[in-house]
Amino acid sequence: MDSERTEEYLEAIYKEQTKGDPASTSFLARDLGVSQPAVTDMLKNLESKGLIDYKSSKGATLTELGVERALGVIRRHRLWERFLTDVLGMKWDKVHEVACKLEHLDVPEVEERLAVILGDTDTCPHGHAIPDNKGNIKKEKAVPLTRFQALQRVNITAIDEGDSRLLAAIEKKGLKPQVIVTIHKKNEDGSLELEAGNRKIKINADLAMALLAEPVSAGQRDTIKEETTLSKLNAGNTCVLKEYTGERNLLGRCLSLGFTPGSVVKMLENFNSGPVLVKVHDTEVALGRDLADHITVTRNENA
Amino acid sequence: MTETAMGKHIVVALAGAPNVGKSTVFNLLTGLSQHVGNWPGKTVEQKTGVTHRGNLTMDIVDLPGTYSLTANSAEEQIARDYLVKENPDVVVAILNAASLERHLYLVAELIELSPRLVIALNMMDVAQQQGKKIDAKALAEALNIPVIPIAASKNQGINELLTAIEQEYRQPAGARELKHIEYGSEILKVINHVEELLDDSITAPYPKHWTAMKLLEGDTQIDKLVMGRAGVGKSSALNAYLRENESAAVTIATLRYEWVERMMAKTQEKPPLGRVSLTEKIDRAATHPISGLFVLLLVFGLIFGLVYSIGIPLQKFLEVHLVESGKTLVNTNLVSAPAWVRSLLANGIISGVGTVLTFIPILILFFAAWAFMEDVGYTARAAFVTDRFMHLLGLHGKSVLPLVLGFGCNVPAILGTRIIDSPRSRLLTIIVAPLVPCTGRMAVVTLIAAAFFGGAAIFVSIGIVIFSLIMLIITGLLMNRFVVGGEDSALLMELPLYHLPNPRIIGLVTWQNTMAFIKRAGTIILAVSLIIWLLATVPNGDINTSVLAHIGKFFEPLGKLMGFNWQVMVALFSSFIAKENTIATLGTLLGGTGAGLNAQLKTLLTPAAAVAFLVVQVLFIPCVATVAAIRQETKTWKWPLFTIAFQLVLSFSLAIIVYQVARLL
Repeated sequence: MDSERTEEYLEAIYKEQTKGDPASTSFLARDLGVSQPAVTDMLKNLESKGLIDYKSSKGATLTELGVERALGVIRRHRLWERFLTDVLGMKWDKVHEVACKLEHLDVPEVEERLAVILGDTDTCPHGHAIPDNKGNIKKEKAVPLTRFQALQRVNITAIDEGDSRLLAAIEKKGLKPQVIVTIHKKNEDGSLELEAGNRKIKINADLAMALLAEPVSAGQRDTIKEETTLSKLNAGNTCVLKEYTGERNLLGRCLSLGFTPGSVVKMLENFNSGPVLVKVHDTEVALGRDLADHITVTRNENA
Repeated sequence: MTETAMGKHIVVALAGAPNVGKSTVFNLLTGLSQHVGNWPGKTVEQKTGVTHRGNLTMDIVDLPGTYSLTANSAEEQIARDYLVKENPDVVVAILNAASLERHLYLVAELIELSPRLVIALNMMDVAQQQGKKIDAKALAEALNIPVIPIAASKNQGINELLTAIEQEYRQPAGARELKHIEYGSEILKVINHVEELLDDSITAPYPKHWTAMKLLEGDTQIDKLVMGRAGVGKSSALNAYLRENESAAVTIATLRYEWVERMMAKTQEKPPLGRVSLTEKIDRAATHPISGLFVLLLVFGLIFGLVYSIGIPLQKFLEVHLVESGKTLVNTNLVSAPAWVRSLLANGIISGVGTVLTFIPILILFFAAWAFMEDVGYTARAAFVTDRFMHLLGLHGKSVLPLVLGFGCNVPAILGTRIIDSPRSRLLTIIVAPLVPCTGRMAVVTLIAAAFFGGAAIFVSIGIVIFSLIMLIITGLLMNRFVVGGEDSALLMELPLYHLPNPRIIGLVTWQNTMAFIKRAGTIILAVSLIIWLLATVPNGDINTSVLAHIGKFFEPLGKLMGFNWQVMVALFSSFIAKENTIATLGTLLGGTGAGLNAQLKTLLTPAAAVAFLVVQVLFIPCVATVAAIRQETKTWKWPLFTIAFQLVLSFSLAIIVYQVARLL
């Protein structure tokens, strides 16, 4: 059985390495609130148990065994969070800390019964995937809200639970997983102006970083946000570019002129024959009709 | 860089997208010291010049205008090959502050090549007018690259730019660490994997990491280079991996634009929403399919009005005072010289080259009008408005501009096709351009029409212009369908912001184009004039018994079908040197000039034959200068020979039909 401390280390290393890089000692010291020498000692200990590969220059990565253990902790953590919200009725922004304590209770029967009582839940209240009991976990594709562009419509799929004060602030704004928002404006200080339902919400840069979202997928699109081609957009309307479907030899030119997915395109002139004139990335660009036929977009009527 | 007693010599390359005022900056830096040529093996203009700063001599190289460094076009390939292979000492990225968001993309690409980089933020004045507040300091900090705000059209900031270039050059290598774009671990993994499949010997002289990215971006030129060098096994593994990761091209570009957004957020305060710029207001009229067409006709009408009210009288004036008095001067002052010398000077050089030079005022007007339209930003709009019609001919909206220039002279029209980025549309434009009736042909048409049709002459002239344009359209349709292969190209171009014209730039461009034309007249046209003169003189100095006359007589049977005798045939052939030579040759053959010629023409041609002559004259094979230009621009003899053969058949068959039909009426 691993100690609580060990499990916390495994969990932290796992989360960091899924972001792409090994967990450095300095990161772990910060994240777990201990001194760097203490981290180094612990990492050497974990390495001797065969749970991690540790290089002092780069940091720690989990071995296969380490990943298995970490996912076990994460599974218990997220199941407990669900239990706390769904069964005990706690607010989702308060459950993370409690679950941090409960996750170390490694009794297989408890874990099994939790899963049964919660039904087929596959995400925690913050929107993160719960690993199954065989150690498989769905890959998360969501990216911070800051990465999207103005006028884009996105679905908030998860919230980074690292900072409890942020969670409370997000909860207060009425934002939570599975809420669809439109980004109205991106301000220079990094704050965003959103619209959810008919509410206007302003969030600061830190909150925007903690909100993970995906572009709205086909099933969730409401009736006005239909998908069409650029050539069918009327003058004065704005759309969000989805993709270029034409021949690959023109792809490079389209991309370098700024026709990238997620870019906002405003139609300036479209007379149903001949070329169209659009505004993209702050410049007017003329496009032949054949080209405009091969660019799919998401219409944005209210913009 | 070379060190001499005079001080240091460094190379500074100017990079930037089209329409950022790059040539304005270049002109300010180099003035008249510039040299205009071609990039080796390419029909893309290469401009170089020199500027001095203290004991530092800077060779300024103006790279072709590019939006990116992926080889989507010849321009982009040239620009990036120059940066990689020639390794200039300092690279200046010129950006348009008024549309910074668009132009930072190129910086994202330049950073990857890690040159000594200086950014010139041009058109700061325009950005200000639009209510865009740009913090150049913040941008410099964010990028860790010196950023110099300039307003090239007002000659502001150039000195500061030079200082920055010098400072950048003087600081030790590696002193400035460029902040590279973070592409994120996912795409980096893919890039690294491609890198593993490559090695330095395959990618040289390109950096390996950079090559890997270009392969993923679908750069065909790099792809060809790498696949050619890598072994069979390696290239197939690479190919498979690249195909698997085709979407990387989009991801990389998207991440670059995200980076641009982040830079923008730090640099620019957005103007209040809903503010419509002047450019957008003008464009609602200028790019509308109907009102835009009126604007276009008005603009072209003004240009032609200018040419006909000023250019033609000037041309006539020069003809009298340069060509005619030149001939008289030769004949009266060189009496002692042998007859053949006088003939060579008067009939060979002066009437050949001299006549061509009389068209310079007309060309200057056309060049200036062209440069003006380009400088204010109208040319792209003209291309946009005409694209829907040009498309039917397989041409490109941009084709209209060189074709209009063709009314002045076909040679600059052929050279002007360089602005068309699709090779197919460009070739089609080159093939149809000689069918635009140039001023040389119109001079002949006007004279013949006046001699035969009196008061109706103006209508006959206009009729002939319309006729040749109809022939141009038919030719375009035929060539598009049957002759020129390849895919239709799509229109994709930026419409630059309108701005006030800069007389200096217009002057320089006009000057350069005019000088190029004069140089041409001094070489090719001179050479061919001499050959024709020789043919008309050999063996005994009398044109009526010369080799040329024999050639004419040989073709007389063909001429008869159109109602021409051999003199008319010879006159027609002489238009190969320069279209307006027809008149001069007729004059020589008939031994009369001016009013005398008019009367003689009537004895030479019946009215039916005169109409046939007008037809054959406007459609006849392109003049030698045009043929040379076609050869130069297509880099093969195939197309100039094709054009000659095609127009020979077209002009003779139509003239025969016209004559035979007209005779029956």
